[in-house]
Formats: sequence, structure tokens, C-alpha cells
Amino acid sequence: MKDTPYWNPRHETMPREELEALQVRKLRNLVEWAGTQVPFHAKRLSDAGVTADSIESLDDLQRIPFFTRDEWMGGQLEQPPYGPILAAPEEAAIRYHMTSGTTGRTPIRVLDSMKDWEWIAEMWCYGLWGFGVRPIDRVFIAFGYATFIGFWGLHYASEKMGCLTLPGGAMTTEQRVRTIEEMGATVVASTPTYALRMAQEARALGIDLASGPVERLILSGEPAGSIPATKKLIEEQWGAKAGDTAGMTELGTIMVFECEAQPGGTHIIEDHYIEEVVDPETGEPVGYGEQGERVVTSFGRGFIPVLRYRTRDLVVKVPGAGCACGRTFDIYDGGIRGRVDDMKLVRGTNVYPRAVEAIVREIPEIDEFQIRLYTAEGIRDEIEVLVEVPDEGADVDGILARLGKELAGAHESLRFGVRQAETGSLPRFELKAKRLVDERELIGGEGEKRG
Amino acid sequence: MAEIGEAQRELAEIYERLKAVLQERRGELAPYEERNALKALAALWQVANGLDLDPGQLYDSGA
Repeated sequence: MKDTPYWNPRHETMPREELEALQVRKLRNLVEWAGTQVPFHAKRLSDAGVTADSIESLDDLQRIPFFTRDEWMGGQLEQPPYGPILAAPEEAAIRYHMTSGTTGRTPIRVLDSMKDWEWIAEMWCYGLWGFGVRPIDRVFIAFGYATFIGFWGLHYASEKMGCLTLPGGAMTTEQRVRTIEEMGATVVASTPTYALRMAQEARALGIDLASGPVERLILSGEPAGSIPATKKLIEEQWGAKAGDTAGMTELGTIMVFECEAQPGGTHIIEDHYIEEVVDPETGEPVGYGEQGERVVTSFGRGFIPVLRYRTRDLVVKVPGAGCACGRTFDIYDGGIRGRVDDMKLVRGTNVYPRAVEAIVREIPEIDEFQIRLYTAEGIRDEIEVLVEVPDEGADVDGILARLGKELAGAHESLRFGVRQAETGSLPRFELKAKRLVDERELIGGEGEKRG
Repeated sequence: MAEIGEAQRELAEIYERLKAVLQERRGELAPYEERNALKALAALWQVANGLDLDPGQLYDSGA
């Protein structure tokens, strides 16, 4: 095997002109595929007058209509369980995953074929290799291994690369920390918040992580992996380098990764995606260095073609040429900086206030409610829902238990605290209600909370 | 586009041959032969794709 810092040297160092020509060709193929296999996309493309043959440059991308999460979810509600977006028959799938949705009742459900699943791992290989992980490494994955896609792709990437892969599902934090120590893990994958939680547990157990064998942390699931103060804290506590990544269930994998040079942001995997940055209000493109909304087009997952998907993530794109690593892939300076909408990330899980409200409102005994996000023990994101139950004869314990169970069920088993508030104590709203209070400190918080 | 080397060309040929076997002689394959060949095809698709060979999709092959 060649000794190279790149997973795919051919593409990662490709001159921009060639890279853009490759993207145009792949876009043409994607439009052809989506237009012939998915009637939903065929109509949208046809209505916009877009055919594969008519795509000559990246400027033509802007003729393709945006695709939104609401449209995706609306399609699923009309044609459950997957909506009108599949490009291949369900029988061709080997994997099912989901992520919490915006309605509280319907998650986004996705399928992948064997080839797509290999591709999902392939994207993680760009990130792992690019951050210095090698076949000799022992990779511990602190992850729940359920229907949430999370680090599934990283697990398969680690195997593909030949690393000793240590699955950390169904373990307590103590068991995870002890396994990391006992097995001599050199790489640990987790959310930023959980990396700090494990460090805290290690201290309580008398384990000095900083003098141990862990050399690299692969972070994902929260923006904090690119927040300098949080990254510094994690690196100090583990005595290891921390690299940020970001992905989405809608893509099945990561679309950006931080390289070993740690340029203060994440490289976009531009041979597999086109990432546009647009003004969230007008949809018009913004230039390098300007903050805007990510819009993604993905070439990899053929089962669910993704064309100009509005992510609602806020980013600032800068040229990759500024990075010492030699990649030509552009960079999201500061990673994912925040959200256009009201979605919150809590321990790696998407939480939409409107989805929580939809669940709360199904319990008629609850009169008013408030969602509270806070930082526990200085390191951990927590979410709780305070509810007023004015009827003194109501079974409050039963209501709280039901609500907690239903909220967790709609959010990838995320643990919600559910408490009764004194009747009349929560704020009332006449116009635009603000029932979410985010009291989190910098660590694990959203991009807009950076210091 | 950059030229591909001899080793890469051989991998691309293996991919095409594997795909052809799965498309044309599937009925002759035992379960262990077919499923392992499909897994290999899905992996080699990543190579063909990384070499810019426009490998298309594989759903009709079952991968």
C-alpha cells in the first residue's frame, strides 16, 4: 500500500478545474438516475426544464429546485413508510435507519443497498484516514448501535481499513472507559459531549487518560467538535488530538472531516458531494467567507438520490488551498456553526420543539409546557420538559411516565427529564410562543453560543 | 482526467468481469458464491467510482 496521507490521493489533491468537471459529470449521471427512477424527482426536474443533457457546468445546478426536509417528511406521510423518494425496490436494501423528524410522530426513514452501505463506510474512510488513523490502530466506538445511523458507518470504515474495531454499544460509561484502557484503544469515536463525560468518569475511576495510548478522538454529532474551547478541553483531558466530522441521516454518512493539519474547520468530500452555501432567506449563493445555509447534492447513495437538499445548517466556506495538508477540497471554517431553524442537537440527536409539542399536545391533561436545555455537571447536555397538570385528580405520575416514554421513542431513545411544574408558573404566550429555553453553557452547545 | 495505472486498470477489469458473471451466470452460482461475489462487487464499485469510471448503479445486480 502506498504511504500517503490521503484515502483517495487522485481526488483529494485534484486541481479544482478537474474536480469541478468531475462534479458536473456526476451531477449529469445523478439527474439521469433520479429522473428515470424516481417519479417524484422526475416531475420536479421536468417542471424546472432540467435534463441530464442540459447540464454543462456547475451553474446549471441552480436550475434544479431545492428539496426541503418538510417535503421529504410530507412525502413519507403521504406514502409511508419511505415516501416517494426510493430509486430502487425495497427488496434491494440491506440496511434500515432513521432519524427523529419534525412532527414528533414520523421519523425520516432511509434504506441502503449493499453498494450504498460500502459507500457510506467509504466516506468515513476519508475522514479516518485523513485524520491519521491507520490499520494498526485500535478503534473504540462509544455508540448505541441502534436505528440511529450515528457511528455505524465509522464502524464499517474501521473494519474496512483493517483496524481492530472495538464496538462500545450497550455499555455503561465506566465499562467503556475500562474497555478503552484494557484493550489499549488508540482511537476513540464519540460525540464531543460524551468524550468529556468519559474523561470525567476516567478521573473518578483513577484512570489517567492523558498518559494512556489514545492518540486520536473522532468527534461527530454535535457542532462542539469545531468549537475551539471545547476541542481544547477534550484534547487536554484525553492527551490526544480531536478531529471533527459531520454527517446526516439523509446522506447516510459524513460529508466533511477534519484533516491532520487541523485547519480550524472541516474539508468537504467534494468528489462525492456538491456543497452549496446560500442565503437562507433568498436562496441565492453566497461567496467564500460569508455565512449561509448548506445545500447538499450527494452522488453516493443511489437508493435515495439527494438533489439540492436544504440542510438548515449554517456554514462559512473557504478555499481548501489554505490548508497545509495539500487537499484541494474546500473547507467549512469552524465546521457547522449553527442552525437556520429551531432544531437543537442534544447528545447527537436532533430535537425539534414542534415535534416535542406534537407529543405533549396529545396528552389533554397537560395545560402548558416548557422545554429546557441545560448543561449538567459542566459537561453534559440535558433536556427536560416541564409540564403543568392543573387537574388535581389526574394521574400525574402516569402522565409523566407516558410523556417521557413517548418523547424518547420519537427521539432515538434520547433520555428526556419530565417534571411537573406548579400550575400557572410557566410563561404564557399570546403571539409567537417561545417554549424552548436553552440554558446550556458553551460546551456541547449550539454554534450560536460560541464565545 | 488523470490517467490510471496498470494496477488500477486490472482492478477495473476484475470489477467488470465480476459484474458480468453476476449478470450472466447467476443461476450457476451457489448461495455462498453469489452472496460473496455481490459483497466483493459492492466493494470494487468503490474502486471503479474512485477511478472515475462512471460505474453506474448496481441494484439490478442485487448489490
